[in-house]
Amino acid sequence: MASPTEAPERTEETRIGDRLDKAWLVIVWNDPVNLMSYVTWVFKKLFGYSEAKATKLMLDVHHRGRAVVSSGAREKAEMDCYRLHAYGLWATISKSD
Amino acid sequence: MVRFKRARDNGVRVRLGEDEAGLLRRLVAEMRTMLEAHMAGDPVMQRLFPDAHVSSAEAADFRALTEDDLSAAKRSALEAVAQSLGTEGRLEITLQEPDVDAWLSVLTDLRLAIGARLEVTEELMSADVDPEDERAPALVTLHWLGWLQEMLLKAAG
Repeated sequence: MASPTEAPERTEETRIGDRLDKAWLVIVWNDPVNLMSYVTWVFKKLFGYSEAKATKLMLDVHHRGRAVVSSGAREKAEMDCYRLHAYGLWATISKSD
Repeated sequence: MVRFKRARDNGVRVRLGEDEAGLLRRLVAEMRTMLEAHMAGDPVMQRLFPDAHVSSAEAADFRALTEDDLSAAKRSALEAVAQSLGTEGRLEITLQEPDVDAWLSVLTDLRLAIGARLEVTEELMSADVDPEDERAPALVTLHWLGWLQEMLLKAAG
């Protein structure tokens, strides 16, 4: 995630810092129906991930039951989650610890 | 018979016999009816429109903001597939990229709907279909749709 290199004022810096701390995670959950090849295709398509990265994430979902597939500000995480739902993947978002 | 093949112009050539095209048309029409009715509490709708948050209050807020758009997106993909399927006979067409995406997401929604209706598990999905099982016809359809999707992914790859 990109962070600002300089903040004009200390108060502004603190405010942006607070927001960055609250990154949201997009989690994809395993489901018994979706094909492994399709899940990999969706990760490449939506996030522009390489074949290797998309395959690794798909295998994490398959073997561990879930995987974090993207993260960021709440609005971005919500949009990613929405797009995953549009492609039929079971995704949720939650605040990073 | 190869149902999907990469075309020279980077599209995907689709060839389906009358029975297979007919089954897809029927499934697409059923899905359209289900999306229009959108019965809350139906396990199929819960799977196609899953909660985005673990907290139910936040999930409800997200749903209120996005559900109409998601439903519209699903219906638009369905219409694109219905359009390419036509109304009768065998199918011989070439799909370009936006339609390939629509086909992949519609095949997914059809499979998820059958899977939710049958409450399938990983064990059931990896087992041979028992012809005595009353779910056999739906399970065979589910596997057939998966086989089509696998071929389409390979051709589009």
